[in-house]
Amino acid sequence: MSDPVITVSDLTLAYDRKPAVHHVNGSFGKGSLTAIVGPNGAGKSTLLKSIVGLIAPSEGRIDRHGLKRLDLAYLPQQAEIDRSFPITVADTVALGLWRDTGIFGGVSAAGRRRVVEALASVGLHGFAQNPVGNLSAGQFQRVLFARLLVQDAALILLDEPFAAIDERTTADLMGVVARWHGEGRTVVAVLHDTEDVRAHFPQTLLMARELIGWGPTSEVLTDGNLRRARALAQYWNEGHSHAAHGRAA
Amino acid sequence: MNLYAHLIQPFADYGFMRRALVACLALAFGSGPIGTFLVLRRMSLMGDAMSHAILPGAAIGFLVAGLSLWAMSAGGLVVGLAVALLAGVISRTTALREDASLAGFYLISLAAGVLIVSTRGSNIDLLHVLFGSILSVDNEALLLVASISTLSLVTLALIYRPLVAECFDPGFLRAIAGRGSLYHVIFLALVVVNLVAGFQSLGTLMAVGLMMLPAAAARFWAIEVWSLAAVSIAVAFLSGWAGLLLSYNFDMPSGPAIILTAGVFYALSILAGRHGSLRARYFPGAHFHSAPEKTS
Amino acid sequence: MRTAAAALAFGLALVSTPALAKEVSVVASFSVLGDIVKEVGGDKIALTVLVGPDGDAHTFEPSPADAKTLANADLLVVNGLGLESWLPKLAAASGTNARFATASFGVLPRDMNEDGKDITDPHAWQSLSNGAIYVRNVEEALEKVDPADAPTFKANASKLLAELAGLDQWTRQQLAAVPADKRKVITTHDAFGYFGAAYGVTFLAPEGISTDSEPSAKGLAALTDQIKREHIKALFIENMTDPRLMQTISKETGAEMGGELYSDALSAPDGPAPTYPGMFRNNVPKLVAAMLKN
Repeated sequence: MSDPVITVSDLTLAYDRKPAVHHVNGSFGKGSLTAIVGPNGAGKSTLLKSIVGLIAPSEGRIDRHGLKRLDLAYLPQQAEIDRSFPITVADTVALGLWRDTGIFGGVSAAGRRRVVEALASVGLHGFAQNPVGNLSAGQFQRVLFARLLVQDAALILLDEPFAAIDERTTADLMGVVARWHGEGRTVVAVLHDTEDVRAHFPQTLLMARELIGWGPTSEVLTDGNLRRARALAQYWNEGHSHAAHGRAA
Repeated sequence: MNLYAHLIQPFADYGFMRRALVACLALAFGSGPIGTFLVLRRMSLMGDAMSHAILPGAAIGFLVAGLSLWAMSAGGLVVGLAVALLAGVISRTTALREDASLAGFYLISLAAGVLIVSTRGSNIDLLHVLFGSILSVDNEALLLVASISTLSLVTLALIYRPLVAECFDPGFLRAIAGRGSLYHVIFLALVVVNLVAGFQSLGTLMAVGLMMLPAAAARFWAIEVWSLAAVSIAVAFLSGWAGLLLSYNFDMPSGPAIILTAGVFYALSILAGRHGSLRARYFPGAHFHSAPEKTS
Repeated sequence: MRTAAAALAFGLALVSTPALAKEVSVVASFSVLGDIVKEVGGDKIALTVLVGPDGDAHTFEPSPADAKTLANADLLVVNGLGLESWLPKLAAASGTNARFATASFGVLPRDMNEDGKDITDPHAWQSLSNGAIYVRNVEEALEKVDPADAPTFKANASKLLAELAGLDQWTRQQLAAVPADKRKVITTHDAFGYFGAAYGVTFLAPEGISTDSEPSAKGLAALTDQIKREHIKALFIENMTDPRLMQTISKETGAEMGGELYSDALSAPDGPAPTYPGMFRNNVPKLVAAMLKN
């Protein structure tokens, strides 16, 4: 494996005082393209948030190897964004230029060019002045990807980026992900569709609150592992606490 | 009838009318943009709660120094900021969310303020604190209001980007800058400061009216942040102008007249505004919009 | 005859308040009257005043304690002329056997306009010649109730009458310094009708404002116009608690507040107008000073 970009050691995360992630160990390699997969409630989003720095570890540590906040680009699930806010597509994408503009700086001509290019890359050429509220779900997701493009980050973290959008958009945005991988950026994405994962993601992290497998997709996404994941999910869905369960192989 | 005589003459004739009008202009520039953000951030009722939180602070200032501009403003500022911070802390550390804790403070503050004023002053004093007296604005008060408006506009310009990010996509701001709450606090401070500016002229009950009603009305006429703010400022100033004329011609108390005028603008906007009004919904007429239809 | 009178007085005294055997118990309705009665009666009487200093005799609400005081009184001195509308009920409720004396008996009454109605102006004491009538009426009433002390009452009354005569002259002298066209004042006090008539001063009510509500722009404009029209700089407005409003008026017109006048009641003993003569000694210089600025 290449140099690690993020290493987690014995990481345990609690969310609202409920256990979400247990004793995860491993590293994301530089330039890797990893899918995080698991049943509902498996702690996938929580793990991603802890890497971004939004949740502090209850136990264990996260080693970011010198990576700074602004070197990360994070795409959360859409819930918190106020679509009715009066902002244009261009201004939304331009938020991604934060690293260059800072809080007070204006957007330079070069920055504006990058915004236009990014919009073209995601198939939204000509949409720059549209208010964000008029867009469909798929179009809006493209805008968010354009913003990620403009952020020019070394590590890109995506939480369910293709949920509730159409096939065409999913395919186009998958192309953007591939482009990032081609540029040597490290990409980690939480995904539900295992077919997508097998098709496009060389690495997989399979978890069900505890780590089940982390490595090449073909080795991790085995029937045995997937059955194990489902069993664990059933276990905690029936209301059992996770305390006395064994560690992953 | 002579338009000049009706619309301009009263201000030409009386210095107190002129000063009141200038105060309205300054207040419009300060409160308009702040009100716009309050509405966009869905914090309209929070603005109301903050204005009541100011009351006991102003009342303490009144207790110490009578109807003194500086004492009451300082008192209002200190208590207002304290309540804003306290509400934030409580919402972060306990189960109670910010709106509920503010509601609690609101009621306690209002009662405390009335009590404090009543211990020293008469009913008239209480009326002054609650409803202000825009007609007795002197040069000192004008200076205070103008300074606050300028400070407010400059600060807003400086924190514009993080403020917009915090309204629109707080998750992004948290991930990128990690200090979202700082801008929230700065914004709350601006709200308090503008309410303090307003309450000398319009009283604690009404000051928030000039902040919220024009901003709410603006949503029916504009769709970008800067134009929303501009319309808010315009409506606030026009409300001041018309309200003062109503007070002049029909012997109405001036503070409430101004706020009621703003209310009328708001009602008219709901009925006949350009965007999202009843008229736009049921009688669309010509198409103004150029936004493309939704495609997949 | 003397013995019989003494026996009668003694008997009366026995029937009235036991603690004050020899003194006549007198109740005066309000502070101005109270001062006159005190001066004339001296230490021969026990005086209670119903509406004390800074009180409002027009809107006074008597308490049960007042009824009790009245019940035990020998003499009740009232202003009359409609000032004490609360008195008949109080007297009936107390069931008192006291004698009644109306201090304004013999005064030539004026009319005034209150709330749109024409009524008799009760503030007769604002003219010192009426004040003299008050003194004589009080003296006569006291002598009827307590004839034994008549000489004392006569002497006290004469002294007070002399003082009032001197005060009257002094007032006219002071006012003479103000030219006729400047003898105007704007005031919310409506009690100076007799003063104005006696001493040649015009008292105008302020237009547009009242003491118990916030002035509107229209009201302020009306007051400003009135001040400018009448060329008046002298303002005496009660209870204007917002000093900034006064400043607004001053800036607009140059008018200023002339200070505090006492018209319906005396001040507290340590105040500027603790006695009836003291009231004039407080009011007149302030009026003169303010009018000279007109």
